[in-house]
Amino acid sequence: MPVSRENTRLLFRPLKAYAFDPTQGRTLGNYMTINVNYEELQAGPVGKHLMVIDYDASNDCYYAPVDLDDRSVLLGGGLDPSETNPQFHQQMAYAVASETIRRFEFALGRAVKWRFQTGLKGDPHRKLLRIFPHGMQDTNAFYSRELRALVFGYFSASGDQLGSNLPGQTVFTCLSHDIIAHETTHALIDGLRQHFNEPTGPDALAFHEAFADIVALFQHFSFKDALLNTIQKTGGLLHQLELKPDVPSSQPRIQAELPTLNPLVGLAKQFGEAMGLRGMLRSALGTQPNSNDLDKLTEPHARGSILVAAVFDAFFTVYLRRVSDLLRIARSGGAIEPDNVHPDLANRLAEEANKTAGHFSNICIRALDYCPPVGILFGDFLRALITADADLVPDDDLGYREALINAFRSRGIRPRDVFSYSEESLLWNSPAQNYGKDLQCDGLVFDGTRAASPATQKRNAVVLHRFADQNRKYLGLSERKDTRNGKPVAIQPHSFHPLIRVGPDTGLPEVQFFVEFMQQRDELLDPSDPKGQRFAFHGGTTVVFEQDGRVRYAIQKSLDNAERLRLQREYLQQTGEETGLAMYTGKFPDMQHLNFAAIHRGY
Amino acid sequence: MNKKSAKKSAKKNTKASDGIRIRMYRVGFGDCFLVSLPVDGGYKHMLVDCGVHARGDIGTMDQVVADIAQETGGKLAVVIATHAHQDHISGFAKGKETFKGFAEVGEVWMPWTENLKDDQASKLRRKRLALAMQLEQHFKLAANPSPQALSAVMNITGNESALDFLHSGFGGKAKVRYLQAGDQIEKTPVPGLSVKVLGPPRDQEFLSRMDPPAGQRYLHLGDNSKPVTGNVVKPFLERWVVPRRDRSLNTVRLDETSQKELKKQLADSSLDSLAFTIDQALNNTSVVTLLTFSGQNLLFPGDAQYGNWQSWLQQEGSADLLDGISFYKVSHHGSFNATPKGALEKMPLGKFAAMASTQNVPWASIPRMPLMKALAEQAKNKVVRSDSLPIRQAPKGPALSRLPENFEKGDLWYDYFLPV
Repeated sequence: MPVSRENTRLLFRPLKAYAFDPTQGRTLGNYMTINVNYEELQAGPVGKHLMVIDYDASNDCYYAPVDLDDRSVLLGGGLDPSETNPQFHQQMAYAVASETIRRFEFALGRAVKWRFQTGLKGDPHRKLLRIFPHGMQDTNAFYSRELRALVFGYFSASGDQLGSNLPGQTVFTCLSHDIIAHETTHALIDGLRQHFNEPTGPDALAFHEAFADIVALFQHFSFKDALLNTIQKTGGLLHQLELKPDVPSSQPRIQAELPTLNPLVGLAKQFGEAMGLRGMLRSALGTQPNSNDLDKLTEPHARGSILVAAVFDAFFTVYLRRVSDLLRIARSGGAIEPDNVHPDLANRLAEEANKTAGHFSNICIRALDYCPPVGILFGDFLRALITADADLVPDDDLGYREALINAFRSRGIRPRDVFSYSEESLLWNSPAQNYGKDLQCDGLVFDGTRAASPATQKRNAVVLHRFADQNRKYLGLSERKDTRNGKPVAIQPHSFHPLIRVGPDTGLPEVQFFVEFMQQRDELLDPSDPKGQRFAFHGGTTVVFEQDGRVRYAIQKSLDNAERLRLQREYLQQTGEETGLAMYTGKFPDMQHLNFAAIHRGY
Repeated sequence: MNKKSAKKSAKKNTKASDGIRIRMYRVGFGDCFLVSLPVDGGYKHMLVDCGVHARGDIGTMDQVVADIAQETGGKLAVVIATHAHQDHISGFAKGKETFKGFAEVGEVWMPWTENLKDDQASKLRRKRLALAMQLEQHFKLAANPSPQALSAVMNITGNESALDFLHSGFGGKAKVRYLQAGDQIEKTPVPGLSVKVLGPPRDQEFLSRMDPPAGQRYLHLGDNSKPVTGNVVKPFLERWVVPRRDRSLNTVRLDETSQKELKKQLADSSLDSLAFTIDQALNNTSVVTLLTFSGQNLLFPGDAQYGNWQSWLQQEGSADLLDGISFYKVSHHGSFNATPKGALEKMPLGKFAAMASTQNVPWASIPRMPLMKALAEQAKNKVVRSDSLPIRQAPKGPALSRLPENFEKGDLWYDYFLPV
């Protein structure tokens, strides 16, 4: 076990898991060990972020919780993979969810927290995300803010949807590495962004699904054995299976293979086979980019797959750029043949792939801070990616941003109000650029690297509120009156948090602050039906402050944007996932939050 | 043709000089439309759907079928069964004997999803039917089933007789065609009629929506005629199960209230939404046709809901297409979600007429009033709904004080005349 020398503090807890899911057996490097950051655990496992509760609502029973500190478990580096032992399931769900959390914390440079901070009084676990690895018998897995939980279903594979499952075989969604990572990501995003899961339009739902898929897919490239295996089979061209004699030149087009062929670019194989679902991702990665797809696809997973394909196009492009020299050297030295990549070369390629995947994963996660607070569109995400990365790495010698821009452009993802696809015009604007006005907020306090004290937080909130209220116009915040009290629509500052990074020019640590200013107004679902259903329409601005309080970016979604309101209404009326219920019962269950259980009907 | 002559002629049989006649029958909750097209001094007739929901049946179907026989003289050029819901096809079973006696039935059109020779379609259909039957049984046995969900699944089951009759081409008389989005039919049994098929689509997104996952438990009748739970999966051997009070659970045990709440939310709630999902999926298999005859465009969308519309609404030319219609059969009985706002706004203001076959039984939220209002505004009040026809003991719709221009009414139907 790796131990740091200074103080013999435990660093990792090695735990075994499937790299993919049970159908892959031992092939393709499917048995892997995850080095989970060490923490003290109680039986469950129950740690500082997560609590695994193996209660099965369908059978109304508990399965024995695993004690990962048990000697026999420790000596074996965790329980061995097994479909029939629920304690291994608990271990795997804990390990994969923990690893996903670690990636977010690493990328963001701060501790994550969950959306809910409440629960039963006196319950020491009320701030933990609960994981139900066998929550119910259903073909579903989802995150629920209300239940404070990730819920994984199990079901019996049957009928004509077997794939490599046996008839009657039980499929466990909690044994799919991808599904666990995907659902954990939903919970993490909800923790970071309070209003992200509002059903504002097709992009918002699709973004959630896409982002969760992106995180799950990038994790594949940290599975060393699986990666080496795929490198052997593809001659290092990880995006495809067939080894071609020449490396595609400057702009390789991504022709991904069926996931049965290349496990790295597919998701949740067993579940997909059992359900006959989720073909869209495969076809998005496997076909030429088509700029019309965005107009046609509205189902969240299908639409999301366009975004996933764009990000992976960029990733593979950069990866190939990074290894082109290695491949050239190898070819001239005869170290690469269709079925045989020299192990040294394979290791180097794997290293590059892993590193590049890590970079992209970080870029994507960091971009979350640079997104508008509500109503995200795919084009906004492109701007967030470019801005976040440009802030961190001003010179882009390996062309990460160029690759992203080209990949998004070729899929017709077009940011609003942007004149060209140049990096410069994709960067978010400051109030100076928008309105010719420099803004500075004085009096913000930031006490070093520690989390701010409650008193400081409160003081900052007051300062921020006053600042926003005085500068509504320059921050894109509504100045209109609230009909209920005649005052200007209230502003709420949310999730004030700092980001520390090494200054690109000075090499010194620099701090930026991120604040979401939110506004809301009650609106009729259908303006022609004054007695009908109402919903809370949100607008707001994500403001990025410099250390000295200057406003660097103001990323706006105005409450006064009539087009946005119209689209959200249309979306809620026509395509919300609850339309069946609404149509026949006249009831709209919840229009403030996405119901992931209903959207997924799968995962 | 002016208003006066239309009024006069409608009292008797249709005449070629009257132009196109669209007759909407009041069947209850269901659709039955007879479209009569003037050809060579006579009429060619098309029947678009003929069915009523068992829970919205007002007992007029026999009379309706008899009227169809009389009006057409036993000759139908085309029969369209838009989709396989009871409220669109049950009349083909109930009136089978009458229809069998028809002298001529040219063609039967159905969506590609009903094609028995299409493997993909057959697979989907088998699965849907099995699921609907399971759900129906479950809802009938469950303690407090949702009546709305039960009505939705009842609409799917028990249609074998009607479907057999349709598949057989009315007992071998008719040629059967299966349609999908993109089809363009120039040669039809009606000279001068061309048909553009807008739905159902056949892409992967559509297919995945058609195929909702289902692995839940259901109630069904056991050997002793008592309800038992079926499809039970016990995921692990009994030795892994620990009793609630066991000490090993001290760190993870749920308190009793939240355990109960969780059980309710996770184990018991998903079947209603599954029922609505498969209902919606079947609605979206509706054949959507644009009939073009003598320069008039008639849009018959069946029960298409947003997913079906959306697939062609985004395509180039859809705005022109909608702007050119002269008649719109209101989709899915005027429900929420079945006539997209974006589509309605593109229909030509005041230049088209619309008919909605509807009533608020068995679903009180259908038709959706704001939609009906918006429709009346867009069509400048050239809209009628079938439940405005008073029928004894049938649910009452809003009274129609004055018939709009070019509309006529009978005991069981409204007619709309379109000059050609």
